[in-house]
Amino acid sequence: MTNTWYLYVFFAAALVGAGLLGLLAKKNLIKLFIAIEVIGKGVSLMLLGTGFAKASILTAQALVITYIVIEVSLVATALALIINIYRHTRSLDVRRLAKLKG
Amino acid sequence: MIVQTALLIGVVIFSVLAIVLKDLLKSAIALAVASLLLGIIFFRMNAPYAGVFEISVVAGLITVLFVLTIALTKTDEEVRESRLVNWVFPLVFIAFIVIDALVMKGLLGKVPALASGAESGTFGEVLWRSRTYDLVGQIAVILAGVFSVLALFRKREKND
Repeated sequence: MTNTWYLYVFFAAALVGAGLLGLLAKKNLIKLFIAIEVIGKGVSLMLLGTGFAKASILTAQALVITYIVIEVSLVATALALIINIYRHTRSLDVRRLAKLKG
Repeated sequence: MIVQTALLIGVVIFSVLAIVLKDLLKSAIALAVASLLLGIIFFRMNAPYAGVFEISVVAGLITVLFVLTIALTKTDEEVRESRLVNWVFPLVFIAFIVIDALVMKGLLGKVPALASGAESGTFGEVLWRSRTYDLVGQIAVILAGVFSVLALFRKREKND
């Protein structure tokens, strides 16, 4: 593979790593979801970077557009869930969710 | 190449800021800036459709959804994050970057080039002809998202 590909893989891995660390470290539900978004950015960068290196940018572009459209419905559903959780617990703390028994 | 690297560094910095910043509104805006820079990178990689989607949908629509959620869940009580995390996160991230760079340096030139056939036609042909069936699945996912949002926000009946 070309040297450019390694550059894209390096930055995509950095984005995925930052997102995973955020998922492990943070307690706020919205912050956790922002971390998931950052992981998604890394994945789409990786897809397009590989398409660019393989000279098949059109297929990679089609995949990234599919991913972005699905990401929107994911975001809408997850944020609606977060608002509902907030209405129940009056808090965005993910630790409170463990107490929702019964 | 230098501009592309600078843009990539900007994406990583703003993404890390989006995770690290305490104020939720600021972190949503940092995420939007990261998406904007990623969209510019896509444009420079000759992928204009992906760039347009990234800028208009991710940097625009998703940021609006985030800001709306932050406004709807305005709370006096801050979620307490442990103080240790504020120190540990940057340190672990820097360690991760160093390991990442070392692994990439070790791999440099070792991954064989993947076989690739030359692409022909326009973007529309590739999107609609070679990927017909998963686009149907994509429409199903969007509908599922719409129905789930409607189900989550439906009005409660009196008996509930």
